[in-house]
Amino acid sequence: MAELQFREALRAAMTEEMERDENVFLMGEEVAEYNGAYKVSQGMLDQFGPKRIIDTPISENGFSGLGIGAAMMGLRPIIEFMTWNFAFVAFDQIVSNAAKMRYMSGGQLKVPIVFRGGNGAAGQLAATHSNSTEPFYANVPGLKIVAPSNPDDAKGLLKSAIRDDDPVLFMESELMFGMKGEVSDAVDYTIPIGEARIAREGDDLTIVAHSKSYWLAMEAAEELSKQGYEATVIDPRTIRPFPFDAVIDSVKKTNRLVIVDESQPFGGIASEVGFQIQQRAFDYLDAPVQRVTAKDVPAPYAKNLIEAWMPSVDDTIAAAKRALYVN
Amino acid sequence: MAIAVEMPKMSDTMEEGVLVAWLAEEGDSVSAGDVIAQVETDKATMDLEVYDDGVLLKKVVDEGSGVPIGGLIAVLGKEGESADDVLAKYGGSGDGAATEAAPEPAATPEAAPVSEVVAPGGDGAPTAADGGRVKASPLARKMAEEGGIDIAALSGSGPEGRIVKRDVEAAMRGDAPAAKAAPVAQPLAQPVAQPVAQPVAQPVSAPAPVAAPAPTAGAEDQKLSQMRKTIARRLAQSKFTAPHFYLTIDVDMAEAMAFRSRLNKLGEAQGKAKVSFNDLVTKACALALRQHPAMNASYLEDEGVMRYHREVHVAIAVAIDEGLLTPVVRHADRKGLSEIAADTRELAGKARDRTLQPQDWEGSTFTTSNLGMFGIEEFTAIINPPNAAILAIGGIRDVPVVQDGELAAGKRMKVTLSCDHRAIDGATGAQFLNTVKGYLEQPMTMLL
Repeated sequence: MAELQFREALRAAMTEEMERDENVFLMGEEVAEYNGAYKVSQGMLDQFGPKRIIDTPISENGFSGLGIGAAMMGLRPIIEFMTWNFAFVAFDQIVSNAAKMRYMSGGQLKVPIVFRGGNGAAGQLAATHSNSTEPFYANVPGLKIVAPSNPDDAKGLLKSAIRDDDPVLFMESELMFGMKGEVSDAVDYTIPIGEARIAREGDDLTIVAHSKSYWLAMEAAEELSKQGYEATVIDPRTIRPFPFDAVIDSVKKTNRLVIVDESQPFGGIASEVGFQIQQRAFDYLDAPVQRVTAKDVPAPYAKNLIEAWMPSVDDTIAAAKRALYVN
Repeated sequence: MAIAVEMPKMSDTMEEGVLVAWLAEEGDSVSAGDVIAQVETDKATMDLEVYDDGVLLKKVVDEGSGVPIGGLIAVLGKEGESADDVLAKYGGSGDGAATEAAPEPAATPEAAPVSEVVAPGGDGAPTAADGGRVKASPLARKMAEEGGIDIAALSGSGPEGRIVKRDVEAAMRGDAPAAKAAPVAQPLAQPVAQPVAQPVAQPVSAPAPVAAPAPTAGAEDQKLSQMRKTIARRLAQSKFTAPHFYLTIDVDMAEAMAFRSRLNKLGEAQGKAKVSFNDLVTKACALALRQHPAMNASYLEDEGVMRYHREVHVAIAVAIDEGLLTPVVRHADRKGLSEIAADTRELAGKARDRTLQPQDWEGSTFTTSNLGMFGIEEFTAIINPPNAAILAIGGIRDVPVVQDGELAAGKRMKVTLSCDHRAIDGATGAQFLNTVKGYLEQPMTMLL
């Protein structure tokens, strides 16, 4: 084990996979000469050279398409978006080509590509730079979506993503790149895509939260514990496939569910989880499923407003208390 | 731990049962399945079985007492065990009193007889504004169902009175109020709660309320039976909520009379049950219901649906000394006349013996009521909910009729259909009635 930053864990995963498999390469804006916008790929140009660490112009649609073509021809590209907010211009490539090529070619072509980059709101970056983009892509069958909450998961899941034969969207939180944590240095350390992590166990309610929201959930759970309510906290780690069974098993014990999700409420991840749970565990619910999400307006710029817009620990505690009927 | 024997829910409409007779004594050993008492419900007198083995430690209620569903009737346990724990739990408020009263255990329970905890029948406005719908979480509903708890009898501690897990758990532990003052499951409490007539006399021992009329000489008060209470409540509910309209038609019964006597002569030889005019009407109604499915319906406001019944089950009003029962001839449309006759005879007999079981009276889709045998020419009946209609049958009269311009003697029977206008419109009812008339005037067509 070594203590690594989130960005270092990602770098370790990419480096190890590039050492292991010469078909793996990294492409994106400023990934080479500048060492990455968030210094995720620091030093990788020196190690792997300009044929495998490739700087691109500002042209997400173009280099995403290039990556998809390369993947169809047998390479295993990692496409870095400086932020998922910029990937909207590559939306057609991801949704129409990456996601559907295997299906539309009757399995003759596969697209083993990873798209990764910063996701979600990060302080005062205003409306166009503060999207949590999971739900946009989660709506598309054919894409896998991974959103880890800590450095260890980031490494193990990114390695699995690179080895996956289907397109994987890997979503990192811009505010978590500097987060430190113990990371396994075991050889071939991978975490399977689609398995939840039970971070905390309690009988009174279940809180589901991924990526940055996971930390809100844990803080809320600690505070609730001081008030006498023990929460199970589940980090799904993967948005698609979503590990519903873990949530259902927990709801069967706790009878109450709160979902914390930084994306927008309407048609969001929390909505889907809430729906699936009411359908598959209806008889075990003792209270309506609660969700804590971004507010249903564009992200504001002002500091106090963006803080009010994003889910908070207080919001999570309040939702938990509604589910517990102790308000 | 001693075991509580509670008043079970013995029929759909039951709210309270009267303990008619004890068949076991305190100290008797009983086994699961033994009958320890008889309970009068709104419909019948039924046996009360115990579900456990043990000794009858305590008979909690006296013969003749009414007990709400879930109320304590008796306590079972091991020989020599104390019944106090159970009694204290059902004692209502049960705070401190039980522990303080320990040296004299008899005092506490008797001070607060369980049978007096709740007076169902709704002498208060309903608490839930939601049309009587019981709000409960899915989990609470499931737990209550599995635990055999009547969820409508619980008080909810969730938002807007929602019944949640902790409420069901409390009820299972037995430390919740057995029922609330005005059960939410009774949407129609209001009309019923305002009796048309005041009781004529008050018991002398009780100080008379200001408004009560003075006791009249020569009057006698009789405690309402469960059956009478239920009849009153259901008929008031029907009459006050269902807008009734009435359609009367005159039926020529000459053919039916000839047909019936021919039929019975044939049947007699084969040892079949005698077919009555009422059986002919039952069969005619059943066939007509099949042709007019709009009549075979229930208007269910709470569920927001009109329920069209696929099966035809005709209930027949039977008068007995204590009141009125409506046993059901099932699938009357598919039964032959002598089968209907046999069914009706058996059901009427059971009704008079008060041995009808819930399956004998539940699930009707239409009802007939016949007062022809009392010389009643025509009358209107109150719909038997949740049916959409009831047919009131008068007697067959000899009447002068004009046939081909000549005066002649005729046989006529008036029938009056009461319809729930929420479910049925005038034309629908009229067409149905004409079909019934057609069958009775050409009875052979019923055999086609």
